[in-house]
Amino acid sequence: MRLTLADKWLIGGLLLLAGLGIGWHIVLASRLPGQKAEIYKDGNLVETVPLRNGYRQVIRLGDRDSEYNIVEVQDGKVRIVEADCPDQLCVRMGWASAAPTEIVCLPNKVVVKVVSVQPADIDEITR
Amino acid sequence: MSIRRTILLGLFVAVAGILHAVEYWVPIPLPVPGLKLGLANIVNLVVIVLFGWRDALVVALLRAVLGGVLSGMFLGPTFVMSASGAMVSTMAMALSYSFFRPKLSLVGISVIGAVVHNLSQLCVAAVVVVSSGILWYSPYLVLIAVPTGIITGFSTAYFLEKFPQTAIL
Repeated sequence: MRLTLADKWLIGGLLLLAGLGIGWHIVLASRLPGQKAEIYKDGNLVETVPLRNGYRQVIRLGDRDSEYNIVEVQDGKVRIVEADCPDQLCVRMGWASAAPTEIVCLPNKVVVKVVSVQPADIDEITR
Repeated sequence: MSIRRTILLGLFVAVAGILHAVEYWVPIPLPVPGLKLGLANIVNLVVIVLFGWRDALVVALLRAVLGGVLSGMFLGPTFVMSASGAMVSTMAMALSYSFFRPKLSLVGISVIGAVVHNLSQLCVAAVVVVSSGILWYSPYLVLIAVPTGIITGFSTAYFLEKFPQTAIL
């Protein structure tokens, strides 16, 4: 079994695309430091938490009987500490601190979005 | 002939269902939603080659149901994701098998299947959680899908080499 020329082009092209996408993601992440974390449950915004040094908050989504996720915000980073979902993917995703990053818990339909607020325009301040 | 075919397809569904369920137990170092090894894609590609796309689609759907029941996630969002991923990637592999085959080998077709599988799962995930931002994970998924697709492609080629072609006649 040998790879054909088209196989190699396909593999190379896909890897190149992936590399470009990851590079773009990293560049965006370095330019947009996270300033807020928005926590969504079932598609609805539940809570917005500031991400800055010295600020700490623990938020519990869902009660003891139903599905739950515990979100921790500390010193400009956010993570899901604990959840009862079967795959534990959201917990393993760890800390997030840069802008286009999202922590997702699919079984419980929870999204933690790191948002960067663009610096306000002078016009906007005076208005 | 038809009994033989039925038995073989049943066996393939069983094997694929087991592989599908086992995937949940294999820890993947990169925690990205929608990321799968795609071991069951080996069976899908084998069925496409031996029996054609219709049977492959049926096997893909049945194995998603079987794998969902075995892993205890039947009818949850994870099941919807894996079922749609299995169907869409089987269609993509069947199409590329009939259109690009002399040019692309089984490895290339398997890479297409793996990439489509992971991307379609991520799209379903984005719909489930109502958030388009998780599409930012797609380049990472492609990066992982290419090597896993290569591995499953070589596995498929190896299996078909050893598999007695007379068994399906």
